[in-house]
Amino acid sequence: MTLIHIENLSKDFKILNRREGLSGAFRDLFSGSYRTVEAVKGISFDIDPGEIVGYIGPNGAGKSTTIKMMTGILKPTGGVIEVNGRVPYDNRIKQAQIMGVVFGQRTQLWWDLPVIESFRILQEIYKVDQKTFDRHMNMFNELVGLSTLYGQQVRTLSLGQRMLCDITASFLHNPQVVFLDEPTIGLDVSIKAKIRSVIKELNRERNTTIILTTHDLGDVEALCQRIIIIDKGKILYDGDIKKVNALFGAYRTLKLQINDFNERTRQLLNDRLCERFGLQNGITIAETEEFWTDVTIDQERTPLSDVLSFVMGNFTVEDVRILEISMENVVRKVYDGALG
Amino acid sequence: MRSYIPIARATFMVGLVYRFGFFFTIVGNIVYLCVAYFLWKSIYGDTLVINGLTFNQAFLYVGLGSAIFILLKTYADWYISYEIREGVIANYLVKPIDYQIYNLFANLGSLLINLMAITIPTAIMLIGVFHVRVPSGPGLVLFPFSVLLAFLISFSMDYFVGIMGFYSESVWGLSITKEIIVTVFSGALIPLQFFPEQMQKVLYLLPFQAIYHTPLMMVTKPNQGMDVFLPMMAVQIFWAVVLFIGARLFYNQAVKVLRIAGG
Repeated sequence: MTLIHIENLSKDFKILNRREGLSGAFRDLFSGSYRTVEAVKGISFDIDPGEIVGYIGPNGAGKSTTIKMMTGILKPTGGVIEVNGRVPYDNRIKQAQIMGVVFGQRTQLWWDLPVIESFRILQEIYKVDQKTFDRHMNMFNELVGLSTLYGQQVRTLSLGQRMLCDITASFLHNPQVVFLDEPTIGLDVSIKAKIRSVIKELNRERNTTIILTTHDLGDVEALCQRIIIIDKGKILYDGDIKKVNALFGAYRTLKLQINDFNERTRQLLNDRLCERFGLQNGITIAETEEFWTDVTIDQERTPLSDVLSFVMGNFTVEDVRILEISMENVVRKVYDGALG
Repeated sequence: MRSYIPIARATFMVGLVYRFGFFFTIVGNIVYLCVAYFLWKSIYGDTLVINGLTFNQAFLYVGLGSAIFILLKTYADWYISYEIREGVIANYLVKPIDYQIYNLFANLGSLLINLMAITIPTAIMLIGVFHVRVPSGPGLVLFPFSVLLAFLISFSMDYFVGIMGFYSESVWGLSITKEIIVTVFSGALIPLQFFPEQMQKVLYLLPFQAIYHTPLMMVTKPNQGMDVFLPMMAVQIFWAVVLFIGARLFYNQAVKVLRIAGG
């Protein structure tokens, strides 16, 4: 049985062209001119219980809008959406009981109170009995050692600690599905790893379905078996992560800043690299910003170290940066037919 | 309902965290009481009774009015419009709670902390420092209930203004307008008896007087019969119910703006 069923789902936003001032606001109450923005344009997918699905795409792709429809905050313009057999926006309170949500950008905890108070309040709100509550808190304590934070005010927590507490809170009532919207945004590598292992553990232990939106492809690689890529309100890819993995797993971008850079050296660099490695070996060259040249390398075909040492040996390189491929590049590659 | 009690407890605790704020509110209130004392002293001069109130009654009315004013000042309109504007409301929409009841209980917590930290000290000061005599009578018994009803009315008005945040980004203008209307038309600033007679008739038809005038009359002139007080409280109950339901309907309408047009 599927847990989430979405069929031809769409969402248009009617955006009010607001008038100014208090009197304008009053007039906007009754009438106004609107423009329509199509945020989601007829998407379909099914999600089974226990899956971890990475829902990714560039900014403004329609990710958050879909999440908000699944959580019952937004009402779809068209199509079918069912979570656990019910329509989310018609059964908001009932649905809230079976799902947990973390909006990475803002906390659901009580800012001015000690951490433990937030958990107690949520315990009451979700009517979690004391035994389950204790068991949950113990489990989290073992996973991440939260108990030292209990007495601390939420506003004094670091971003990473706060996120761990937020995730704890979202699993408190043992929901069937948890939506994690950018749970690792702005966090350092070690805390990211911790958060990933916690999510994985909870999914394994309780068979909780997890829908994860993120900009960090590392999250997706570490957690998801399945990935849905969305752009401009449409689904570009829905399937096994392994196929996509090759796309962003192997690619690295080498950013080069070369001494006395001019049109001639750029041309030279281009020619020499093409001559030595070439497109057929998975190398593309682009000039993205002033003084920087981007060399994108498919590591499966050409090792990054080869390219780097070749460039270093032939040019006076002032600065080097190595980047993992960005979400935007993945989407561009999907458009270019990389997934066939 | 039981699951909302921790919410009241939480806001009460937040109040305790920021206890220094009370100190300044109390100091501010002492200044206000002094100004009011000398103002009304000079208004009365040698006159014993103006508009049916003695100086003692008028000052008790105004002084206690300020105490209730601070008691009911929970800033619900500011918080709610902020939460809507910043999208924090999404956190509530994904929880099995009713936003209005949630806020009611959150404000109840603030009410209790205001009562403890500000209203009771002010009342003690009125009696101890300004030597105001509180007459006795059956009205005093009804007073706490009347204040509770006043709280419900005041909350619904604040909630209503807060919900305007769905439509307008500049709710503060509306908030201040509401504040002024309530303070003047409710009798919090000047006893209603001091208004022109025609205006009094209009003001008695509006919900504002049910916030301050009704409970204050129960303290300033407590020795009137139940036949005077009970209808006044019936009017309070009427407004409490009407405004609570009205605000609820307004929310249901307004939240569609978010749910259809997006945050």
